[in-house]
Amino acid sequence: MTHADTDGPAEANPGSDDPGSALQPATAGSGFGRRRFLRVLGLGALSIVPLPVVSELIREGGVADVQAEPAHGQGAPARTRDGRVRQWTMIVDLRACDGCQSIGQPPRCTAACIEGHFAPEPMEWMQVFEADLPGGGTQFIPTPCQQCQNPPCVNVCPVGATFSTPEGTVLIDQERCIGCRICMAACPYDRRFFNWGNAPVPPEALLADYSPEHQVPAKKGTVMKCDFCPDMARTGTLPYCIQGCPQRAIYYGDLEEDIATNGREVVSASRLLSENGAYRLKEDLGTEPRVHYIPGHGEAAGRDAFSPGREPTVWPWIERAEGAVTWRR
Amino acid sequence: MTTAVRRSAGTVAVALAVWALFVGIAGPAIASHVEATVTSVGEVSVGETVAIPVALHSRDGTPLAGTVVTFYLHMAFAGVEGDAEIGQAMTDELGVATLAYRPRLAGHHELRLEYVAAGDGEIESTSTIIEVTGGVRLVHSPAGVDVPGVGVELLMAVLATVWSILFWVVLRIVAIARAGGQAGDAGLEARR
Amino acid sequence: MAVDRTSRGGRDVAPLNDWQARLEETALTPVRQTGRRFWAVVAILLAIIGWGVYAYSVQLRDGLVVTGMRDRISWGLYIATFVFFIGISHAGTLISAILRVSHARWRRSALRMAEFVTVVALICGASFVIIDLGRPDRLLNVFIYGRWQSPIIWDVLAITTYLTASITYLFVPMIPDLGLFRDRLAGRSSRWRGWLYRTLAIGWNGNPAQWRSLASAIGVLMILIIPIAVSVHTVVSFIFAMTLRVPWDSALFGAFFVAGAIFSGIAILIIVMAILRRAYHLEEYATEKHFVYLGYLMAAFAAIMIYANISELLVHGYKLQEGVEFHFRQLFLAEFAPLFWFYLLGGLCAPIVIALVPATRNVRGIVAAAILVTLAMWIERYFIVVTGLRVPLMPYEPASYAPTWVEWSLLAAGLAAFALLIALFTKLFPMIAVWEVAESREAAVTDDGATRPIGEGPRLAEEASR
Repeated sequence: MTHADTDGPAEANPGSDDPGSALQPATAGSGFGRRRFLRVLGLGALSIVPLPVVSELIREGGVADVQAEPAHGQGAPARTRDGRVRQWTMIVDLRACDGCQSIGQPPRCTAACIEGHFAPEPMEWMQVFEADLPGGGTQFIPTPCQQCQNPPCVNVCPVGATFSTPEGTVLIDQERCIGCRICMAACPYDRRFFNWGNAPVPPEALLADYSPEHQVPAKKGTVMKCDFCPDMARTGTLPYCIQGCPQRAIYYGDLEEDIATNGREVVSASRLLSENGAYRLKEDLGTEPRVHYIPGHGEAAGRDAFSPGREPTVWPWIERAEGAVTWRR
Repeated sequence: MTTAVRRSAGTVAVALAVWALFVGIAGPAIASHVEATVTSVGEVSVGETVAIPVALHSRDGTPLAGTVVTFYLHMAFAGVEGDAEIGQAMTDELGVATLAYRPRLAGHHELRLEYVAAGDGEIESTSTIIEVTGGVRLVHSPAGVDVPGVGVELLMAVLATVWSILFWVVLRIVAIARAGGQAGDAGLEARR
Repeated sequence: MAVDRTSRGGRDVAPLNDWQARLEETALTPVRQTGRRFWAVVAILLAIIGWGVYAYSVQLRDGLVVTGMRDRISWGLYIATFVFFIGISHAGTLISAILRVSHARWRRSALRMAEFVTVVALICGASFVIIDLGRPDRLLNVFIYGRWQSPIIWDVLAITTYLTASITYLFVPMIPDLGLFRDRLAGRSSRWRGWLYRTLAIGWNGNPAQWRSLASAIGVLMILIIPIAVSVHTVVSFIFAMTLRVPWDSALFGAFFVAGAIFSGIAILIIVMAILRRAYHLEEYATEKHFVYLGYLMAAFAAIMIYANISELLVHGYKLQEGVEFHFRQLFLAEFAPLFWFYLLGGLCAPIVIALVPATRNVRGIVAAAILVTLAMWIERYFIVVTGLRVPLMPYEPASYAPTWVEWSLLAAGLAAFALLIALFTKLFPMIAVWEVAESREAAVTDDGATRPIGEGPRLAEEASR
């Protein structure tokens, strides 16, 4: 009896390329009927099902990106006075942002964020980029995490360590992150940062209660980013970057209540956006970010578009940390 | 005769001056007699768009057309309070300006309306109360596209099929082991 | 019509038996005797692996900061090597799928080695993903919290399925040969070896029922493994194609990667076959014909790769959307030009030339082409990963990436582990599919009544004219 490399009933074909296949059907004569085969198929399907399937079936649903209940240790969603969940947004008025040239310091929004979160060097969760303008000259673009509604990072994360919240923001659970960094490859705004080594930690950071809403202290081998300061916003305190801006160029707001403030005045968010030609970064990518920009180049702060350069960011709290290991971006 | 003319001219001048003074002082008082009538809209729920008409007419009843009315709402957020502009409307030939207003927070709201009275450029205001109820979520994230049949279930079905075929192969191996009891030609050995 | 094994019905069996005896001896020799050279090779490989283990311990202690990867270029040599190994694992699929479809009789000599390579490559590839993780201690999270929507989970599913199918496909056709080993080595090798062959041969004695089960199992697996293998490298490409990076945002990636995988699989197979042929004197079973045919296949896939590259590059290059111009400069003209042009000329054009030119169309030439291809394909994976991440996303200066000693050490260790596992395999298991090669041979005898050397496919023009 020779073997044949065709399955099922084969024809007797002495002249074929393959050695004469005289195989009798596998189902005949071996006591293994068709019915048994189907039964095995069914049992096999159940028994061979890999672990993620089982855990998925046990867990509720698998497709929801917005957690119904806080599953990662974050707090309850922030709500308006009438109980609706807030939808955080940020509006950056570039007419007022001059990269802190007028005060001769590194951008204060970045500095406030770094100090408030002990962001490891060289992370700039709020980063002020300097972009070229069409006619020459530059504009400054303070860029936090864009808190996308169709977030590429959340979509690709294999373990759900980065997730969308009911408020529309995107957080990271550093207790679950495995450090595969596919989220960093996926983010089109360069807003995710990796703890390549043991990040420097000042003594006061060790006293902090870690949560995805307050990423202190940093954990080696995990990803971090701007989180829109949800723990502060929930209690009615503005995020560090909004507080830090001397020109009051950044507004923090709630799209649900249609309200926004830069710390000095309160406005209707929809009006501020629609009446000033607001746009979002890389709109064509379909990420639906929650950060809006009003075009400008710092003219409201007296800046001339053709004066480039800003002070480089520093991480002043580093001196308080023991054995600081930092790296370049 | 000239004295009489001079005297009457002087009277006229004084009269004119008094009148000018009177008009000067009382002018605004006269012009401020613009009556603004806001039609009450009763109870509105959050997210529902309601038209708030305001009629402007002067004291004598002529409607004030072409006047811009700005609407403000007192808001408070993150420790900052103030009046935020929530809309603008221009009065039509009937003197009515209508704002399409969509309240975004339940509660008792006082809307302040400002308009510039024609003639002397001063800002005047009036107000109206709106009661807003409700609380259905308004902002929904742009959803993905839901194609029926394409989803997790399809992936699971494909996986289950492949793995059950593999399982069947394992059973074939078991069958080989079990058939070891029967005599055979031991493959190539028997050729010797 | 069953071919009766016990009698030849009057045909001359003497040449068959001599040939058969030689075949079995060749298969058994590596398992029976082990020379000093083998142990020397093992020692060197173990040393390299040991150094790699040390490098990994440094990485575990200090974090991934010991590599050259940083925020802007967050993947590098590890992921490139992972993709490379998974690509190589398509050697088995190639032999199974393509050569089966073409009914090439000569494939059977290469079949066993190809499946060895597949299994070992999958294991090495999977380990490079783990090496790249920032928190390998949380690996189980992938299974506990896995999200169906993630390309990495698709990867895990596809690779575990392919590994299972490949191990099965390696084991099942080996059962008769394990039976041979069990019978021929009984009492003449160490106890644990005897136990190993006895267990793995699962009571094989060649009765009809067993042959039937074997045949149906092989038949099903041969077909099943094709879509599994295609899906594996497709989902590996999806790790890149599901992101918004300009050089990766291509609909062509799945097909491109599968073609590249089969291409590099052929090359590795040629190299492994050449080494084993030399070391274990398999010249009679892995003849020059085998190498030439594999060389032709490699050239054909080189042509496919050239086509895929043209399609990809021309479609993007014609329009030069944002980011594409930067990418083209770094690839064609600036930082990555030497690597890219070597890949294009040495990896894609050279194999075609070598296969076409009669002077180089021999074992040496084909093996040289295979070495060029393997090197070029690793380089291609490397610059796909690095150039993809290097295109700036926002207004900042482009970053640069250079692997550190840790990464190079682990690459060397991975390759050494690959070589070591194959070497150990040859010492334990039959590396020629003895019964299948014999079947082919028998069929050759049966078919034209005259003995033809195994491995002869359709006659080539030059062969006929010699």
